[in-house]
Amino acid sequence: MNVPNRKVALACATAALAVTALAGCSSDAAPSGSSASGDKSLEIVYWNYGPAAESGNKATADAFMAAHPDVKVTLTPVTGENWGTYYANAATLIASGKHPDLMVISGEGAQFVHSNNLVQPINAYLGKDPEAKAIVDDIAPGLINGFTVKGDVLTLTYGWNDMVVYYNTDVFEKAGIEPPAADWTWDDFKATAKKLSKDTDGDGKPDQYGFTWASNEIFPGIMPWVANAGGNLTSDDVCTATADTPQVTKAVSFLKGLIDEGISPAPMPMSDVFTRFQNGQVAMFGAGRWPIATFLPAGFKAFDIQLYPKGDTYKTVFGGAGYPILKSSENPDLAWEYQKFTVSNEIEKQYVGTPGKPGDSIPSRRSVAETISKVGVPPANSDLYYNSIDKYPTLVPYPAPAKYSTFESTVLRHLQQIFASETSVPDGLKSLQGELGGIVTC
Amino acid sequence: MTTSSTLRPEAGDRTVTGPGPAAPRPRGDGAAALAFLTPAIITFLVFVLAPTAGVLVLSFFNWNLLSDGTFVGLDNFARLFKDGRLLGVYGSTTYMALAILAVNVVLGLLLAVLLESRMPSWLRGFFRLSFLFPFVVSASAVALIWRFLLNKDLGLVNYLLGLAGVDRVDWLGSSAFAPISVIMVNSWKTIGFSILVYIAGLQSIPKEMREAAIVDGAGAWTRFWRITFPLLSPTIFFLVVINTINSFQIFAEPRVLTQGGPGDSSRTIVEYLYDRAFGDFDLGYASAIGITFALVLVVLTAVQFWFSRRWTFYS
Repeated sequence: MNVPNRKVALACATAALAVTALAGCSSDAAPSGSSASGDKSLEIVYWNYGPAAESGNKATADAFMAAHPDVKVTLTPVTGENWGTYYANAATLIASGKHPDLMVISGEGAQFVHSNNLVQPINAYLGKDPEAKAIVDDIAPGLINGFTVKGDVLTLTYGWNDMVVYYNTDVFEKAGIEPPAADWTWDDFKATAKKLSKDTDGDGKPDQYGFTWASNEIFPGIMPWVANAGGNLTSDDVCTATADTPQVTKAVSFLKGLIDEGISPAPMPMSDVFTRFQNGQVAMFGAGRWPIATFLPAGFKAFDIQLYPKGDTYKTVFGGAGYPILKSSENPDLAWEYQKFTVSNEIEKQYVGTPGKPGDSIPSRRSVAETISKVGVPPANSDLYYNSIDKYPTLVPYPAPAKYSTFESTVLRHLQQIFASETSVPDGLKSLQGELGGIVTC
Repeated sequence: MTTSSTLRPEAGDRTVTGPGPAAPRPRGDGAAALAFLTPAIITFLVFVLAPTAGVLVLSFFNWNLLSDGTFVGLDNFARLFKDGRLLGVYGSTTYMALAILAVNVVLGLLLAVLLESRMPSWLRGFFRLSFLFPFVVSASAVALIWRFLLNKDLGLVNYLLGLAGVDRVDWLGSSAFAPISVIMVNSWKTIGFSILVYIAGLQSIPKEMREAAIVDGAGAWTRFWRITFPLLSPTIFFLVVINTINSFQIFAEPRVLTQGGPGDSSRTIVEYLYDRAFGDFDLGYASAIGITFALVLVVLTAVQFWFSRRWTFYS
């Protein structure tokens, strides 16, 4: 009888596929590499967002292997349009059976990797390793706190970015406006941005704008404004959404007002902002240190930075990145050595860079970050990068729940409607809060 | 003059072309055929059938990529009916897909006919290249450029419209225009393929038939409607089916241009299920969306095949 046989074969094939599909997803599965005895190899997963990530990780790995000739480091680049999609792709990689020892994560991913039981906290290493204290003392406390979840320190931070305001010095000079001071307020900011918004071709509509923000990310987008209004998008334990509070409403209303008054154009993705800023169509925007890796190699140096203006309060919004040790690692002690190496002076200097080839983030070690201005890497006010976290209050914790990618895309989807005047600010935020209720949970 | 209906083969005609006794097949053909087909069969099994079966299995599980999967039966399919956004996303997908289909099939035919009209060969070559070039460029790259051009306040499109006295249009930021932008950009990119296929179809129509119609005194419209269209109907049907499937599956353009927004106004089902799978890490539910969406496309294609019998002529 052919038919029953076919049915059996089909059932077996389906079952086999089910087993294949699901076998790889267990985090408890045995690592595929060789056993711990005598094996001195490390596999590292990192976000390959561009040539800088590739060369930076390669340089670190090469330097580590030079210092430890018996160790082989394998780098596994993972693509992604942002941190969220990078985590998704890295998770797919792990589900397919890879068992890396370390994986680059940002602060936005801290809750995600912790809640999925992926990483091995480093509390024990910090307690017993004699070198650890000196390292931690040289790192701003905010950077340690940013990677601490429920008492578990997930990783040392090798590099980070704070959100600061970039301003085009040529545009300011042409308009006869003084550079902003660190203590400027929202009113000062708005007045400055208004003066910089112009109709240069006389068609009755502005074609040069005072300020814009990224439409595709919340950290360089609305977060600095929310933080300086005294709010956050989640509760301190990152278990409850707080997107419709008076503070958030105030911040979003302020930004909406900038669009309505012709001070800001319709929000656009960050990569478009870079171009508009360089050609003077936008005089100011917010970001971390990463834009200089685009600006300086392109020969654009007519910019400087300043803190975000003060609202009802001031808090520096920042995000860092580190190499946490994964639970799948066969060599956690060796992985810890690698993590320590990523914050060594030798490696941290790479993030300083040179005027022609600057680093794209801020070194975590204070002693190294202080050398940025000394080696002459623009902008002129680059000491502000580290000072913003060392000398000012910070927004901790990150509003980054375990489902960060969904959280961010949900926030952005509702903000799109608010900024396009398709819903009012209170109604839009109320709707956002309702949807986030099922996303921000513990 | 003949009509399209009289061009259909009569039932009795089949006997004329009916198969006679099977000719003896040379030995070794089967092995050669298998050898040629093997790469395609393997590719199909590995990259189409196996993942499809995997997705089907996953749709009965809760799985977040990183922990053990849990069998949940039909729960993921039941969730489809409780998903407050899904129907809206189906609506926006259908709207954009049908518009893209219409542009490709109708405008594509018009442009192909124009390209087959009399003109210097260098000009014909220029137009053909211009229409086909976007088709071979990456969809993401195309969308990135258009995103820059369609910016409401600083984009070139609104600048040019402004010179003509048209107020700035929020191409990417308003619910009314965001899907239109996706339709425009996708159609601009894909219409070259439709034109190419149409041109091949037009060139296969015997010139004698059109010349005979001219001798009979048929005008341009009559020639098109009574000769070109019926003989081109298999090509049109092919393009309707292919463009339907492709336009319902667009991803890169809405992803890059509008991120599916504002709200869900330009979001497609493929983008929605991608977000559920790799944003929420809800692989089971995303698989259920994928399976049901595939079924919708299968039904849609079956309906098209059924209707095609009424208007498609195979000479």
